[in-house]
Amino acid sequence: MCELRKRGLVTAVILSEPFLKLGKSQSRVFGVPDLPLLLIPHPLGGLDLEGVKGRAQHAIPQVVDIIKENTK
Amino acid sequence: MTGINALLRTPGASLEAEEDFDAVNELLRARGWSDGLPAIPPTAERVERMLAYCDRPWDEPVARMAPRYGEATPLRLAANAVMAGCRPEYFPLLMLAIEAMCEEPFNLYAIQATTHLCAPLVVVNGPVVKELDINSGHNAFGPGWQANATIGRAIRLALVNIGGAIPGSGDMSTFGAPSKFSYLAAENEEQSPWEPLHVERGLPREASAVTVVGAECPHNVNDHESITAEGILTTIAGTMLDTGSNDVFYEAQPMIIMGPEHAKTVAAGGFSKERAKRFLHEHAHLPLGRFSKENIDRRLRITWKEQFANAGPDAPVPMVRRAEDILIAVIGGAGKHSAVINTFGATKAVTRALKTRGGQYAKSVEDFRK
Repeated sequence: MCELRKRGLVTAVILSEPFLKLGKSQSRVFGVPDLPLLLIPHPLGGLDLEGVKGRAQHAIPQVVDIIKENTK
Repeated sequence: MTGINALLRTPGASLEAEEDFDAVNELLRARGWSDGLPAIPPTAERVERMLAYCDRPWDEPVARMAPRYGEATPLRLAANAVMAGCRPEYFPLLMLAIEAMCEEPFNLYAIQATTHLCAPLVVVNGPVVKELDINSGHNAFGPGWQANATIGRAIRLALVNIGGAIPGSGDMSTFGAPSKFSYLAAENEEQSPWEPLHVERGLPREASAVTVVGAECPHNVNDHESITAEGILTTIAGTMLDTGSNDVFYEAQPMIIMGPEHAKTVAAGGFSKERAKRFLHEHAHLPLGRFSKENIDRRLRITWKEQFANAGPDAPVPMVRRAEDILIAVIGGAGKHSAVINTFGATKAVTRALKTRGGQYAKSVEDFRK
């Protein structure tokens, strides 16, 4: 993900809240401390299809915003 | 080679602390450089003594440790070895274990950061076992032996302090495991009826070696009644049955620890290790219907599509994909027990020999002494 970002592609990581610290530290480790981290409610595992769609609904507006910001 | 005083002048390489055991331990805990237990203060003098058994430049990384990808230099590893209570002669083995678990197939990033409870297990083989008095007998995975306890602890401290396995940020294990404090044992080669693990994995018998496995804690196999190879192996295969194991969902390499008495019974029945593995592979399977409907539909039918996409409830699900993927080591003392060690699944065991900087198999840890 960080490599894609370094190559100039619009890139973000989608994660749930307990993994935010890991996401932040990993983006620093890989040299992209400003890598966008998009938060969705925890958990993602163990959801039924409706639950997964709900998580996608959380993520989609954030993904759209990132794309808009990076393609101005 | 640069001396320790020059190295410690590098910014960030050292810090001043009050010359007091409790004060140093408060400092270590406050900085998160801790496994929660008291540590030996890693003074320059102690670290230098540890490095007496290092034949490489003290500031050149031997590996980068995920998930922080911190540089594992001998200097840093020696500080962790001191904190853990290692004797200096243990240091070559600590370096070897760290190098082995940083090889790509081991997948240290995932082992460290996963929600699963795995930890790197180190199995030691070869002459170094006697030389360093590493326990391979009674309670080999438990307390009571300095080499097992402190080399294993030094590995954990390095995983935390260099690799960044901080609970909740670099180590996301849902609840961890006691094996994350220390997890190192030697194979009981003298009591084994078979070739040692490192020989089976391609090294000469006279080499010393470590095999690292991304492992769960041992799960006991009690069989006081079976007096045949088939009997013992049937009980072990039965203990391998597990609908909640990661190993079912990956091309995994679960490890079977054979107690010496069980191993002798199995070997006396004409079983080589290879034949024992074939038996376990053939007998360790559960009918598909024993898994939850969701695990069948969402994992097994997808992960192993060719086998289970349309399979019925009686279709056998193997606990291990290939017989040759089962690892067998003989460890322990007297008693009619063996153990099954499931793994993280997405990891391969790595075996690495103890070699001097010149590439020769080390005959002794003294080969590393400057």
